[in-house]
Amino acid sequence: MEEEAETEEQQRFSYQQRLKAAVHYTVGCLCEEVALDKEMQFSKQTIAAISELTFRQCENFAKDLEMFARHAKRTTINTEDVKLLARRSNSLLKYITDKSEEIAQINLERKAQKKKKSEDGSKNSRQPAEAGVVESEN
Amino acid sequence: MADHNPDSDSTPRTLLRRVLDTADPRTPRRPRSARAGSCALGTLMWLWNLRGTGLERLRCLGARRALLETASPRKLSGQTRTIARGRSHGARSVGRSAHIQASGHLEEQTPRTLLKNILLTAPESSILMPESVVKPVPAPQAVQPSRQESSCGSLELQLPELEPPTTLAPGLLAPGRRKQRLRLSVFQQGVDQGLSLSQEPQGNADASSLTRSLNLTFATPLQPQSVQRPGLARRPPARRAVDVGAFLRDLRDTSLAPPNIVLEDTQPFSQPMVGSPNVYHSLPCTPHTGAEDAEQAAGRKTQSSGPGLQKNSPGKPAQFLAGEAEEVNAFALGFLSTSSGVSGEDEVEPLHDGVEEAEKKMEEEGVSVSEMEATGAQGPSRVEEAEGHTEVTEAEGSQGTAEADGPGASSGDEDASGRAASPESASSTPESLQARRHHQFLEPAPAPGAAVLSSEPAEPLLVRHPPRPRTTGPRPRQDPHKAGLSHYVKLFSFYAKMPMERKALEMVEKCLDKYFQHLCDDLEVFAAHAGRKTVKPEDLELLMRRQGLVTDQVSLHVLVERHLPLEYRQLLIPCAYSGNSVFPAQ
Repeated sequence: MEEEAETEEQQRFSYQQRLKAAVHYTVGCLCEEVALDKEMQFSKQTIAAISELTFRQCENFAKDLEMFARHAKRTTINTEDVKLLARRSNSLLKYITDKSEEIAQINLERKAQKKKKSEDGSKNSRQPAEAGVVESEN
Repeated sequence: MADHNPDSDSTPRTLLRRVLDTADPRTPRRPRSARAGSCALGTLMWLWNLRGTGLERLRCLGARRALLETASPRKLSGQTRTIARGRSHGARSVGRSAHIQASGHLEEQTPRTLLKNILLTAPESSILMPESVVKPVPAPQAVQPSRQESSCGSLELQLPELEPPTTLAPGLLAPGRRKQRLRLSVFQQGVDQGLSLSQEPQGNADASSLTRSLNLTFATPLQPQSVQRPGLARRPPARRAVDVGAFLRDLRDTSLAPPNIVLEDTQPFSQPMVGSPNVYHSLPCTPHTGAEDAEQAAGRKTQSSGPGLQKNSPGKPAQFLAGEAEEVNAFALGFLSTSSGVSGEDEVEPLHDGVEEAEKKMEEEGVSVSEMEATGAQGPSRVEEAEGHTEVTEAEGSQGTAEADGPGASSGDEDASGRAASPESASSTPESLQARRHHQFLEPAPAPGAAVLSSEPAEPLLVRHPPRPRTTGPRPRQDPHKAGLSHYVKLFSFYAKMPMERKALEMVEKCLDKYFQHLCDDLEVFAAHAGRKTVKPEDLELLMRRQGLVTDQVSLHVLVERHLPLEYRQLLIPCAYSGNSVFPAQ
């Protein structure tokens, strides 16, 4: 049993490392873009620091999101939780709010489309009948 | 006249029978009496030997019978009785046996019944040796053989023999008073020599000797038992006379200490009823009462301001005020009350550094708070609070049921009265402060207190400043937004332990301002997130978790236990009391 726990630990750790590596890579790419944009170079340590910071902050976010969801007596993390998380930074909050609105809209549209499709489907079934009737009439 | 054979085969029964057959000290017949006497003596010795349970002695006894014919029957009987007392079965007197034996039909009797008869027929005059035959003591036993041997000689010899203090009986032979006293002394001697006292009462269980025995027994109840058993010695306790002077001095010294501290510390169970000021009123210490009332008032206020928190109409300042005002009110309450305002001010004041500005600032805060409240939504509640406070200070139990004065009027009155306050003990201050904080903690708008608690977990809330002398002065106007923060700034400067620039203090104030604003915003948002309109302790816990104060290892209760005094902990952490009651109710 202890061995299992150890192996699990190791697995988790390796998984964590892989995630960190992924984050590091992404941060590196982003920093390159910014460097090209601002014509400033990023040192490796900076990128490493940023990636480490990002990773830890993601952990914090996750915990906070879970806390928020639990606080609202839910088990699923919602956009509300995310908005709560981002409220500190105004611009970020605004951005996220806009995004969430977009998403909400998209969802609504999708729902509407689905509804339409289902209605159309029923209409279409009727229409060919009518067309058939009309054609038959003709 | 040894009727019996000194040889073996003489059982106690046979011996007894012989004794009874032959002995009759009461008969007038001389030879018989003599014989009885001798026989009595013999029986005596024989009975004594019975104790020793040695048949050899019986034989000796029998052998010596003949030597005792000169003994007077009386004495013999006495002796008999005396020695008989020492017999194992509490034989009272051989004489009795002699009496009984006269009846004749003794052949069928058992030794037991024979002895019983002996006992019954014992004459009452003699007291005999108090040593109980019931509990043979080795010492007397050891003595008695010698006595017996000595008794071989004349009877007179026996008397002095009997008197040796091994047993108490010897001194009791003669019934005279003188002899009684002798007996007493002898008794004491005997006691000194290690006889157990229990023997004596038993030996004197005789009706005739009861009184005397009582006298004797009562004589030396506390004598140390024996040299042989020093552990059982009961020494009279060494009593020192009460030093009245020292006692009075101590009284005076203790009375000099401020009674408030004593009263507060001796409050064993602060009634955990948050809403009942009665208990607080019951305290004779008005400042303390005032402090408690301030708490309650603050609590009530927070309640009322809870909803106020939610409405943004007063805007952020109001929110902040609601948050800050909670704290401020706590302090300002001190100012706004009359008699308790005295204490309140004093309570609050000692918390600050000994800066006179502190007073003024607090007063300013009080004024500004009252101003705010006059304008804000908390006005009525504030006033109500103030009223309640004053009422409380008047030692009434109503909670804010009084009519509301104008806040300005109240503040005006109370400021004046507050200034006229006398110094209060510092102990009440931290308690009151913490009580307020705690109440704020408890109430739906616990933001500031919690914020303070959470922001200053390292800072112990127990701040005990010596009471500062009051100074009167004008109240400079202060920015109401920063009204409540000066207290914290003062705390900060105190704990910094080094002189600080004014600019630094201002920055600190600004930071605190932002911090509390954020705090209240968060609390509001959290409450809204949970679909509520009231801020609850769960929101606060979430906040503290985000702050990192509450972790998986450290829970909120742990922090409460660490940093809050017991009274507040009682109010915060539900605890089960007797009768299946949990307080505070969940």
